[in-house]
Amino acid sequence: MGEYSSTGVSPLWEVVALDQFCPPEKTQASQWRRRWRSASKWLIGKKTSEQQVKEEHELRSLPEIRLAHLVPPVDWAPAASMLAQALDAQDAPVTFFITPPHGGHASVVTHWAKQHNAVCVEPPTLSELAKGDTQWIAHCVHQKSWAVPALERHFLRHTQGIQSIREFLERALSGRLGHGVIGCDSWTYAYLQQVIGIDGAPVFTLQSMQGEQLTRYFSNISASDGQYPSVYSTRTGKQILPALETKRHQAAHKELQRLAAHCRGHLGIAWHYWHERLREPSSGETQALWLVDALADAELPADTGDIATLVLHALLIHGGLDDQSLGEVLPFSHHEALNARLALQRKGIVSSWEGRWQIAPLSYASVRQLLESRNYLVDSL
Amino acid sequence: MDDQKKYARLFNDIDSQALITVGLVLLSAIVLIIVSQRGLNWLASRLHGQVRFRIFALVPLTRLFVLITALAIVTPIIIEPSLRNMVTLLGALGLAIGFAMKDYVSSLIAGVVSAIELPYRPGDWVNIEGTYGEVKHVGLRTVEIQTPDDDLVAVPHLKLWDHAIYNANNGGTSLQCVASFYLHPEHEAGWVRKALRDVALTSAYLKFDQPIIVVAEEKPWGTHYRIRAYPVDPRQQFLFITDLTVRGKTVLSAAGVRSALLPPDATLDARNAAQSTY
Repeated sequence: MGEYSSTGVSPLWEVVALDQFCPPEKTQASQWRRRWRSASKWLIGKKTSEQQVKEEHELRSLPEIRLAHLVPPVDWAPAASMLAQALDAQDAPVTFFITPPHGGHASVVTHWAKQHNAVCVEPPTLSELAKGDTQWIAHCVHQKSWAVPALERHFLRHTQGIQSIREFLERALSGRLGHGVIGCDSWTYAYLQQVIGIDGAPVFTLQSMQGEQLTRYFSNISASDGQYPSVYSTRTGKQILPALETKRHQAAHKELQRLAAHCRGHLGIAWHYWHERLREPSSGETQALWLVDALADAELPADTGDIATLVLHALLIHGGLDDQSLGEVLPFSHHEALNARLALQRKGIVSSWEGRWQIAPLSYASVRQLLESRNYLVDSL
Repeated sequence: MDDQKKYARLFNDIDSQALITVGLVLLSAIVLIIVSQRGLNWLASRLHGQVRFRIFALVPLTRLFVLITALAIVTPIIIEPSLRNMVTLLGALGLAIGFAMKDYVSSLIAGVVSAIELPYRPGDWVNIEGTYGEVKHVGLRTVEIQTPDDDLVAVPHLKLWDHAIYNANNGGTSLQCVASFYLHPEHEAGWVRKALRDVALTSAYLKFDQPIIVVAEEKPWGTHYRIRAYPVDPRQQFLFITDLTVRGKTVLSAAGVRSALLPPDATLDARNAAQSTY
């Protein structure tokens, strides 16, 4: 897949067909850098492999209120508008909109459904999935248009757990359920493509963001009062985000291109980096903020065992699972699954979100790379 | 007197310096072989996927390269490398090998061939004369195979000459596994086929870029089904087969599909047939 090259000012939000998605510039270099960091950490220890201009002990986390003001949650409404534009040109009964974990597909599709008065289909319960119950499909019948915000909530990877989604997709793709939009995690989509075969339906996604677009996005998210302080990199000491008065001369800084490449251009993951890694000086003498080295995240050791790898893969293809469901989809006992999940949680690789265990956003890049290197099925984004 | 001179000319004058040089070269070769073998094995065992197999394949090749280099350095120091000397030396060696060490040297030569032709390399799953397991080490004379029962079996390389070598993954990561189900003849075959395919598709170990095939074969006692599929890593093969078998049995028994049971006379025939083979 070629890399996306930006010319001029690119739009922040761009909905493209899946085959037009291109990872940002330097994505390959970012992967090699991650491998090199992992190897150097293994050989010479953590301290020496992470030389910083500004040490972390000189900085402190931002107060919650200030952080919430500076880094508000991503507003996916513009993406929903772009999706609506893309759907206008479509005549297929079902259209997929996929993003990677934390990529906002559920929010985008929910926004779209609200804008277009489409009915959002509720996911089945765990017991319904375990029985292969197809009652939830009835919600789509006789609707002018419907939306499934998160298809990953509609299946479990076991023989009963795929029956209802298979029937749903067969009926939906054949047009028997009318028109609908399905939001889906990119890992779930990759899995269902293999298990059910959903080729043929149009698939859209958000185009990757380059460093320049991230610079613009982070400069503007808190622009309501027009006060966004300068942000510096702890790794290089250089300015990442210019202060407001220099905004007109925004240039994609190398550090944010590095972040874009590390996140494969996915805004949802980049936002988490920005939110988690923004610091202020402990002394409080300046207003300037610091971004802790973007790549210094929870990394998986190269010798991660099979059980941990299977847990991570199961979490990804289901878009997160609770402990009970995790035990249902893994080929070992609930006790072993729980132990593996706890070990990953202690390392910061998985975290809880809305009652489900998910890959922590800051670990996603290294988890994806590990699974790819071990020949597991990975997503296309 | 002339013969004595001829033999004396076969070998160079070996002084203390030559002895030290030969000793140093041999010592360096041994150290280099040990370090490279252990280092490459250590590195490969910590890696996964295709890289692991590529590094494993380097193990015997590196040793062969070091040995040939050491011999190329040492031989001219000991022997005057003329045609006559080489013919004499090789003739003597041929006699010794022919009478005393035929199998041993045959294994050594087969070891060199195995390093070039690569019928097996560390990490491969092979079956040689009924011994199935993972190749752990390809030595000069033998190949060491670790069986699923954790026995380490040393098989001489000379088996290469006249025995079939079954290599299940051939230096790659794709290894086909087969899970068998023996079912009572009264069942809906189309449903069973679909259900067994779903069992494979929902396995956590499944490798998706290889096909899944469900084979059905009618027998006098019922139907024999086989799921043929590939695990993500060849080392997961037994876990994969177990997963397919356990979940397959659960699905089939939940649907009321009974296992095939051999009738008493067929059981007796089968037992007699088994005894006659020993």
